[in-house]
Amino acid sequence: MSSPLRADGPPTISAARYRRGMTGNLLVFLGAALASAVEMVEALTIVLALGVTRGWRAPLQGAVAALVVLVVLVAALGPALEAVPIDVLRLIVGSLLLVFGLQWLRKAILRASGLKALHDENAAFAAEVAAAQAAGIAVGRDRYSVVIAFKSTLLEGLEVAFIVITLGANQGATAVAAVGAIVAFVAVVVIGIVVRKPLSRVPENTLKFTVGVMLTSFGTFWAGEGVGIDWPGDEASLAALIVLTVAWSLAFTRLLARTPKVVTA
Amino acid sequence: MRAVWHGIVDFVVGDDIWIAVAVLILLGVAAAAVHFGADAWWLLTAGVPVALWVSLRRALRTARRAA
Repeated sequence: MSSPLRADGPPTISAARYRRGMTGNLLVFLGAALASAVEMVEALTIVLALGVTRGWRAPLQGAVAALVVLVVLVAALGPALEAVPIDVLRLIVGSLLLVFGLQWLRKAILRASGLKALHDENAAFAAEVAAAQAAGIAVGRDRYSVVIAFKSTLLEGLEVAFIVITLGANQGATAVAAVGAIVAFVAVVVIGIVVRKPLSRVPENTLKFTVGVMLTSFGTFWAGEGVGIDWPGDEASLAALIVLTVAWSLAFTRLLARTPKVVTA
Repeated sequence: MRAVWHGIVDFVVGDDIWIAVAVLILLGVAAAAVHFGADAWWLLTAGVPVALWVSLRRALRTARRAA
């Protein structure tokens, strides 16, 4: 495979454009991986609780079935979206990413400033164990475990699938985004198998904050391009948007942290 | 079907519908500005944090009212 930077080969793309493309792909990879890690930790907590309480076979069947549905969804919709005209795609997907990113940021800022309770994996694990014990012992196939594991993995995974599809399609790098999600998934599962406890030490809110910043920045940039905005410096302004989003998000967290505390669940 | 529709709306809109509404308004204004030949990049750059700040203030007010 010839490098696009080679001087002796046919002219391809400029070094600056190649670097920008690589940076964009790296950001897509990181965004998909971090979002996947956050959601998979939550799904893992439920599958672990079911496995510890009621046996492993049924929850694993439910989780695997949900993963198959998610993989099919990404495989079918990812390439299909890449066929949509780029301006239309950027407007629709950019708007959705922007809304999604702002929602993640909102939640992360409220938690970081102490106005919303932090997500507690140990408490979620205990609640799920109690519910699994209360559901009674299954005779034959444990449908309760299959359904709960399927639903929780599918629901948590849908957000990841959405992020993988939209980030990937807009950047023309669905495979890169999918690899990011798979790497995070494998890491979370391996750690889950090793510790066999909910991953309560994962800095979930920091990850959520980081993903929120990336989705908001990508969403702003792409939705802007979709409505015809010419960003100063073209794709270089994406980096500036990320820096700005981090700055105002941290400023909002500090401002809210000064207000008298009213913590909600 | 109604449950599926509610699920999709909840998935897209999330905790605060204001964010989705604000994004739609911002993009509409930006599209109009571009149509009339204005440079609108600053509109989104400044409008997005304002939208989130309003949503955060709404969350704070709701929490105070509930307390």
